[in-house]
Amino acid sequence: MSTWLIAHNTFREAMRDRLLVGVIAAGAVLLGVTQLLGPLAMGEGRRLTVDFGLSGISWLGLLVVLLVGTSLVAKELERRTIFNLLSRPISRPSYLVGKWAGLSATLGTVVLSMGVGLCALLVVRGDRVFVPGVLQAMVLAGLELMVMTSLAVMCSALSTPVLSALYTLGFYIVGQWSYDLRLLAAKAPGLLHGLLEIVADLAPNLPLFNARTLAAGGHMTSWEHMGFALAYAVLYSGCVLGLAAAAFESRDFK
Amino acid sequence: MTPLAWSAPRRARFLTAWGLALLFGAAAFQIADAAYRTLPRPQPLEELSYYPSGQHLRPAALGHPESAADLAWLRAVQYYGEHRTTDMRFTRMGHVFDILTTLAPDFVSAYVFGGFALAQEGRDVAAGERLMLEGIEANPTSGVLAFELGFFYFVRPGGRDLARAGEYFELAARLPDGPAESARFAAFAHQNAGNIAAAYELWRSVAERSPNRYMREMAVQHMETIRVAVEQGRKDLLIKRLGVPGVVLRGR
Repeated sequence: MSTWLIAHNTFREAMRDRLLVGVIAAGAVLLGVTQLLGPLAMGEGRRLTVDFGLSGISWLGLLVVLLVGTSLVAKELERRTIFNLLSRPISRPSYLVGKWAGLSATLGTVVLSMGVGLCALLVVRGDRVFVPGVLQAMVLAGLELMVMTSLAVMCSALSTPVLSALYTLGFYIVGQWSYDLRLLAAKAPGLLHGLLEIVADLAPNLPLFNARTLAAGGHMTSWEHMGFALAYAVLYSGCVLGLAAAAFESRDFK
Repeated sequence: MTPLAWSAPRRARFLTAWGLALLFGAAAFQIADAAYRTLPRPQPLEELSYYPSGQHLRPAALGHPESAADLAWLRAVQYYGEHRTTDMRFTRMGHVFDILTTLAPDFVSAYVFGGFALAQEGRDVAAGERLMLEGIEANPTSGVLAFELGFFYFVRPGGRDLARAGEYFELAARLPDGPAESARFAAFAHQNAGNIAAAYELWRSVAERSPNRYMREMAVQHMETIRVAVEQGRKDLLIKRLGVPGVVLRGR
């Protein structure tokens, strides 16, 4: 129950943030720009719309994670509101999970509103056939942001907002390179091979959440892929939140 | 408190600051304007030469290679347009399309446009052919690309390859998104390459399946011509003397 209340409050607080309005406006501007660039793309305007629309959802969502997610806990520590909360019968893990759930719901709302805008634009352009692929890619982008939120909450529970943002960005970059790391590991000798494999396994496997290329071609990904991505997102987020809760539990507040 | 109510020194500092800001701003604007008009500008899109290969750009795209490919596509179109209307030099075009197709191997338009532009404007037929073959390898189910590759062999500058043209037109005719005229083009190419049996079958396919009555009648006529020529043992009557395609570029 306490987790639900914290999630609800985090969601309300994040939704009131003016940053979200800015992010959604930036998404709309990006879609507008793709329409302006369309005539320069020699018949590839539709591809431009889908690619940039989906990449925009992913980038702007990441921006929200970096700007809001990484200061979630630190802000409460700074304002000392966390002491009021934790002096009540609310466990620290419930607090962190609530924060993560609230921000994930906010990001879900952002992804949904930008995705609906993109789909509406495609329907208006007469490219209705691309909508199912775009919807799938949108869901995967939401799952990717859910994973990134768990990492941001973990960093936020352990460090300052600036460092948390840098760590989270680092996780994102390494996560995007995880498949390249696996390829590199396959070619690397002995110890380096093992090391790279471990890094690739520990990093969030973000390429799993990428269906943008398929969506741009008007194709859908398999439901097996969607199932793997959903399971991975839930399990990886659970693992990160578990680590975060353990670290947060052992932390002494002054 | 409004500036009018400020003390005289404060008001002076305020006005001086505004005056200096306007002065420097106006001067900066003039300098920028003069520099734009007088100084030589960088060559159009020469920065493309410094792009690393697509293989190296891919990790730098951080999971968004398709958006990077879109930007490269816009650049490639501009590169082509700039040089097509100025110096007709396309030295870096192969590199540009290599980046593009490595970032987005499913970008069919890039193979088609790049293949023809390299062969025609770039005068590098081998590079154009290589790019289109890479495309068909990456997109074996693209009827559009198969048709365009067939067309490439049909009009290949310096010498047609009608057998391969027929082969790819035939592939396009079998694929769901292949253009409707693929079977007719395949029959024509095979016939003029001397593959009479294949041509006859393809004409029959056109006669049976084409929604266009004129095309059906034309296909029946071709079948009849083939039958007569084969009966007379005069296959040479079926093969037209097609000219050797060349490239004529007209600049502005």
